Amino acid sequence: MPGRRAALLQGTLDLLILKALSAGALHGLGVSRRIEQVTGGTFAVQPGSLFPALHRLEEAGWLTSDWQPSENNRRAKYYTLTKAGRRQLGEEAAQWNQIALAIARALEA
Amino acid sequence: MTTRLFSLWRNLVHRNRLDRDLDEELRAAFDLLVDEKVRGGMPPDDARRAARLELGSLDSLKDEVREARAGAGVDTVLQDIRYCLRLFRRAPGFTAVAVVTLALGIGANAAIFGVVKSVLLDALPYADADRLMRVYPYFLDGTPGGPLLFARMVHTIAARQQSFESLAAFDSARDAVLGGEDSPRIVTIAWVEPGLFQTLGVPAALGRTFHDDDRATGHVPVSGGERGPDTARAVVLAHEAWQGLFAGDAGIVGRDVRINGIPRTVIGVLPRGFVGLRGQADFYFAFDLGPALPSGAGWLGLVGRLKPGTTHEAARREMAAIWAAREYPKEFDSLGMTATPLRDAMVGSTRTPLLVLLASAALVLLIACANLAGALLSRGLSRRKEFAVRMALGAGRRRLVRQLLTESTVLALAGGAAALLLAQWMLSLMRGLARPVLPAYAELSLDPGAVLVTAVVAVCAGLAFGVVPALSVARSDAQGALRDEARGASEGLRPRRLRGVLVAGQMALCASLLAGAGLLARSLWEMAAAPLGFDPAGVLTARVRLPTRDYPTLDVRTRFHERLAERLRLVPGVDAVAIANKAPTVEDPRRDGFSIEGAPPTDAHPYVVYASVSDDYFRTLRIPLRQGRTFDASDHAGAPATVVISENLARRHWPAGEALGARIRLGGALVTVVGVVGDVRNDLARPDAEPMTYRSHRQESTQRLCVLLRTHGDPLALVRTLPREVAALDPSLPVQQAMTLDAAVGEGLASRRIPVMLMTAFGALALLLASVGVYAMFAGMATAREREFGVRMALGSRPRAIAGLMLRQGAGWMAAGLSGGALGVVLVVRLLRGWLYGVPPFDPIALGGAVAILVGCATAALLIPVRRATRVDPMVALRAE
Repeated sequence: MPGRRAALLQGTLDLLILKALSAGALHGLGVSRRIEQVTGGTFAVQPGSLFPALHRLEEAGWLTSDWQPSENNRRAKYYTLTKAGRRQLGEEAAQWNQIALAIARALEA
Repeated sequence: MTTRLFSLWRNLVHRNRLDRDLDEELRAAFDLLVDEKVRGGMPPDDARRAARLELGSLDSLKDEVREARAGAGVDTVLQDIRYCLRLFRRAPGFTAVAVVTLALGIGANAAIFGVVKSVLLDALPYADADRLMRVYPYFLDGTPGGPLLFARMVHTIAARQQSFESLAAFDSARDAVLGGEDSPRIVTIAWVEPGLFQTLGVPAALGRTFHDDDRATGHVPVSGGERGPDTARAVVLAHEAWQGLFAGDAGIVGRDVRINGIPRTVIGVLPRGFVGLRGQADFYFAFDLGPALPSGAGWLGLVGRLKPGTTHEAARREMAAIWAAREYPKEFDSLGMTATPLRDAMVGSTRTPLLVLLASAALVLLIACANLAGALLSRGLSRRKEFAVRMALGAGRRRLVRQLLTESTVLALAGGAAALLLAQWMLSLMRGLARPVLPAYAELSLDPGAVLVTAVVAVCAGLAFGVVPALSVARSDAQGALRDEARGASEGLRPRRLRGVLVAGQMALCASLLAGAGLLARSLWEMAAAPLGFDPAGVLTARVRLPTRDYPTLDVRTRFHERLAERLRLVPGVDAVAIANKAPTVEDPRRDGFSIEGAPPTDAHPYVVYASVSDDYFRTLRIPLRQGRTFDASDHAGAPATVVISENLARRHWPAGEALGARIRLGGALVTVVGVVGDVRNDLARPDAEPMTYRSHRQESTQRLCVLLRTHGDPLALVRTLPREVAALDPSLPVQQAMTLDAAVGEGLASRRIPVMLMTAFGALALLLASVGVYAMFAGMATAREREFGVRMALGSRPRAIAGLMLRQGAGWMAAGLSGGALGVVLVVRLLRGWLYGVPPFDPIALGGAVAILVGCATAALLIPVRRATRVDPMVALRAE
């Protein structure tokens, strides 16, 4: 079932997007570049996953968006983390750390 | 929640705007990407190509975004609905019970609400009806049902009042004969003051209503007859009569009709749906109260339209003040005068039973909801594992709660739809049953308002009973549930307590309802069982009306009575024949002023029921003679006026038994008591008999008569004979309403019986629902503890101990419910007090019976799961581990 696998990836992607936006508002491409930057290029998020994810997160109430001029004076849609989004980020980060720790221990053993 | 609703709305409504927004966003992203690549040193054309490759197909990207959005909104709701429909299909029993329970609860509510709305809330068929008031005399001592107005009172009020911009008096509808010698028909006519229709704000649909010139001067229709020559020539026709009697003839205005043998002209037709204030009439006649003769009894109603800015209270005060300042203070000193808003006057005594029924229906709905909460709770508990698995797989808690809410709402809506069908059916049933009991303007239809309220009730009920199980799931933590399920632990304390509370609540509600139904049923039984004072079995009654033109004097009328009685006595099967102005219990009795000659005026209200009867009346109805004699040929028109009185009247005024020979003033006549007869109940709604006086038909008679035949064999066999005998004397006289006196008595009880029947039906419904509820809750409890019981038995517990455990628990909750119900019973008793006759408010039989029935049903419902629990096979229960 493709849905199941997508859901798993989605979880990671959501976490990365929320994290990328935690420093401040970014437009879509900005989010993608930021993720590339902070993960040292490990994750290159394709627009085909990025935009649906952004809209889904907005719909869930974790992001808001508005139109702002971009760095070289074009108009772009900027996403901002909401309060609920910040909370969600905290929860997901904690969960992820737990899992990561557990996996790391399991691999060490 | 609100932001979610808002975004749902946005998705659905602003689809285009969202699409445009998305277009722009993607174009901007494309441009930014190109910029980035150009800055990185790529030639613009290559940059654009690379950017296009990176973004992929814009259309499919847009589709994906749209799906992602929809997935978070509408789609999940649809998904929830699909999922729960699947679940319902898998549990048809549960679904059927839930939908039927709801349908009964909501259906009863919608139907009763439809009735209540049409009686208490719908607009009256008059313009600006809030400003209309009826003016009434009432008994100062609180005796119900005051007399009608005397013409003199109307004059006093009309001359002095300032509150009303117009006032109009009217008589009640009475019979008249329409047509000629060949095919006479009985119709109803009502005498009114010409200004009545203006006062009510009802214009003619065709032609015009009355002007002052249309008044029949010198003629008054007094109680029981008419005085003076009938000079009314202009008549106004009711819409229904226009359709029914004249087939809606468009040229009716100006046409001549013969009523009571006199030709008259139709001057107008009233609009459809006009409701008469005192009975529906086919024709309206205009009278002039000016030269009205003082008469022995009140016979008028009075309605007024308030001046703008005048309040009901001010008008009420003014009526009281005018009455207090009247120039004949010695007369009518047992009466006060007041004004009531017209609707209150028309709704009258129906208000209390309607509100009681509405409350009963609401209680039934509450019980239904408790039932469903219980059923959904049990389901929720048995699905804990499913929910735990779903949560472990990543379903949000909120999502699960929403799923449960969706389930209950879908159930409630299905139940609501079934309820509407049920309500429709119940209303059509009510239309047949309750018509004569309800005010004439009540439409009794399931209107949009009632439907809307039903829908709101359905949705609220769904949310209400969805919340309980939903909360219990949301609180449960997935890990715990999974672990418990795997280990087969017993259910926790919390859901058990929740079930108990639901059982107790249902018992309490049901106890209140059953107590109310029990009291009303007992009271009805008392009313029906109290002796009538006469024997209706085997008696046939029918009404005949003698027109004034052909029967103008007492002598002519008496001669007709006697000839008719003679003919009827010869009919085979007839044992006795009586002629009277009315049969007991049929129609409202006539009352007349009453005082004892020479006695000082008393506080007791001086009105007494009177009847005009032929000699054989008492024999025909088997009313026993206690003292003196009944009427005979010596009571002719020229002889001294005589009266026969009822036993209770004699006892009240002549306690030593010296009534015979006493002289009393009755209406305008001075009469001598010649006999005392047994008491007769005239108003079946009262178990006690009212005092009565009887005059001989030779000395006091009316044009409207009631023929009573005592027969051996089936009285209905004579239904055709009676009109034939009447026609043999005068073919222009129609005979009306031939029926057995038994049937008439039954009809008289109808206004009391219908609320009792309905309330008993609600009681039965509540009992059924509560029993199912109690059964379902304890069955759920037993299932949830099956493993525990298995373990207990494996460890040596006896079935009896387990049964004891469950019974103790069940009895505890039932007792809690009953003690809660005691409070409800007190409320119900207070509400019903005015409706109880011959039964004490805390009647031990009614209340004890209600409790016994309730406890019996609940115990039966409890025993089934208890039996099942004691039969748990320990091996099976343990193997399930």
